Amino acid sequence: MLIFERIQSFFEIGAGMVADPLSLAVLFGSVLLGILFGAMPGLTSTLGVALLTALTYSMETPMAMICLLSIYVGGTYGGSYASILINIPGTAAAAATAMDGYPLACKGEGGRAIGLTTTASAIGTIVSMLFVVSISPLISKFALEFTSFEFFLLAFFGILISGTLTAPDLVIKGWIAGFLGLFLACIGRDQLQFFPRFTFGISELESGIEVVPVLIGAFGIPQIIEVLKANTQMPKAKKLQRIIPEIGTVLRNIPAIIRSALIGVGIGAVPGIGEDIAGWVSYGTAKNTSKHPETFGTGELKGVIASETANNACVGGAMIPLLNLGIPGSPPAAMLLGALMLHGVTPGPMITFEHPTFILEVAAILLLASIAMWITGMILAKQVVKVLNIPTPLFMPIIGVLCIIGSYSLGLNIFNLFLMLPVGIICYFLTNMGYPIAPLVIGVILGPMADENLRRALMVSQGSFLPVFTRPVSLILFIIIVWTVISQFGWYKRLFGNVKARLFNNHTINH
Amino acid sequence: MMDTEKLRKADIFSGTAILLLGLFIVAQAFQMPMKDSYAGVQNVWYVSPALFPLFVGAMLTLLGILLMRTALKEVGLTGLRSVFAYFTSQHFILFLKQKDTIRYYAIILNLLVFVFLFIPRVDFFLASLLFLLVFFFEFYCTDHNFLLKLIFLELLGSFILICFILLGIAARISETLPFLLDYLICAATAALILVTYRHVKTDAGLLKKFKLSLVIAFAAPFTIGVIFKYFLLVPMPFEGLVVTVLDAIWWADFWS
Repeated sequence: MLIFERIQSFFEIGAGMVADPLSLAVLFGSVLLGILFGAMPGLTSTLGVALLTALTYSMETPMAMICLLSIYVGGTYGGSYASILINIPGTAAAAATAMDGYPLACKGEGGRAIGLTTTASAIGTIVSMLFVVSISPLISKFALEFTSFEFFLLAFFGILISGTLTAPDLVIKGWIAGFLGLFLACIGRDQLQFFPRFTFGISELESGIEVVPVLIGAFGIPQIIEVLKANTQMPKAKKLQRIIPEIGTVLRNIPAIIRSALIGVGIGAVPGIGEDIAGWVSYGTAKNTSKHPETFGTGELKGVIASETANNACVGGAMIPLLNLGIPGSPPAAMLLGALMLHGVTPGPMITFEHPTFILEVAAILLLASIAMWITGMILAKQVVKVLNIPTPLFMPIIGVLCIIGSYSLGLNIFNLFLMLPVGIICYFLTNMGYPIAPLVIGVILGPMADENLRRALMVSQGSFLPVFTRPVSLILFIIIVWTVISQFGWYKRLFGNVKARLFNNHTINH
Repeated sequence: MMDTEKLRKADIFSGTAILLLGLFIVAQAFQMPMKDSYAGVQNVWYVSPALFPLFVGAMLTLLGILLMRTALKEVGLTGLRSVFAYFTSQHFILFLKQKDTIRYYAIILNLLVFVFLFIPRVDFFLASLLFLLVFFFEFYCTDHNFLLKLIFLELLGSFILICFILLGIAARISETLPFLLDYLICAATAALILVTYRHVKTDAGLLKKFKLSLVIAFAAPFTIGVIFKYFLLVPMPFEGLVVTVLDAIWWADFWS
């Protein structure tokens, strides 16, 4: 499709959505719901997308996408409310925002900070949307050249890099989580020969495990247990003054906003890494490049802008690998992938042929969601922050009921619940022991892709692994995988350190 | 998450569990058709359904060993001995009796009872109502001592219900009295409300929380249930007494 045709199509799709009152109502409703989810400490945008997946099951795909993407955008932004007003991040994505947002609220500038986060988040989402539109065709075209070996290595790389970057403790634990996900994906009849694997005679396991209930269990149940067990008393929220859009401050910080958005898009595009990392990296970069880094942590507006622009830009970034390669860029994107599969849409290189306007639809929704988020944030922020007064023991059990009915309603199968709850409890233990959940979830989703493509590739090459080394993309992926693995070992770090030290010493001597 | 020292000690056990799981996966994979024929198809190793599980199992085994090695290297044999000593010490018993741990038991118990005992057998609305009430009374409007009492009552009630189901009494009575379990849950809910009311009635603050809990516990399942059942047309996991009444109202002739 020519560039002008794409732009025309993009605006036509957007205008079509705006002209439809139902779409508009769903858009604003979902954004508001997302903001509420994000604002309440303990609830995350991932959980919001997970729970809404069940509600959108019976909707048409475009409407379901409006709903899910809007809650994702709203949820990522809504986390900043709790960060700024009570110094407890509503979501992990907004953790960096608390560093400067709360000091601002303490100075009586909470309204200013929320106004700024609202505008910065909207800009972040719009910038990332531009990347979705412009980069997607290139990646899609490139990915069409991929064969089974590339897809296997890509899936494997996605799991590995997600494990490496999201592990809060040892990297090995991230990899273990990824392989546990791959194991869960092995359960059921295999796709090539229909041989039952790990079913133990349980007929419900024959068709494999349902992805969405597992995801709901993995994200929802540990959250419920953690919040109820901790019994944290929420501090009283700081008083909120008039919300100001802070356009002047935003304009003065345009280069910083662009940099933060680029960081967000880049981090979002890396498989399995979420908005929290984008927020922290962007905050760190803003601090390191600032002429006055000492002001960070004391209510620096640039700190708030950096984290909020990046975490919302991550939304679009996460869409890029999801739509073009079928690899989710963040945990909520993993949930979206599950929802898309339920609606019969299989993201990947073929998406531009099977659903030619789908990527443009997603981009249009992102644009409209960011505008809806800005309007909702400006008008309703004062009302929304009242949710911070709701005690967590009152809403977490209701989330439990929603997790349960949501998991059941996808397939009308009680067995989904028997699977969801144990997975959730296991994930709670894993989280407590320093295992990240994102690689596990990505493993469950990418497992079938990795399994099928590995065997298909070997079938074509008659059991030879030689194509891995003769195909350029395979070779690059293979080298990156090997490097990702060996770079984590002590001997590599020592060797690299020695080489660096020698080079540095020689360099100093020469001077 | 635990602190680093505790994590390393826990890693010894989680590493062992991962190692065993990996070995189990490999053992299971070896029972899958590798080169022999399956369903009339002569297999070759590279299309065998065992290939991927073997890879996953082998990797988990290897990573389990690596994790154990890392943990043992940091903790050392003395650390390992201290872990075993901890499990036989008074500290472990105290940990099991800690408030946080007891809250954890309460959450898991309520979730397990709801999903495995109630959802397949009891009307969704009633099951959800009881589930929410137990959570609210345990964590919102009472104290730790009452939480212990509720855990005991829930265990006792679940035990009686399991006996009732396993001995076939429920099935036999249901033949003559439909929705028997639903009536029992109604009775249990009423008893729970009464017991909690007696506990909180002297404290104005708790009484206020109790009333709010009641309102939300009744409103939430009905809102969620009605949306799923009548707007999204999702049949409830078990449709009993309340669903029958709601169906009668929803599909009643006088609406049309």
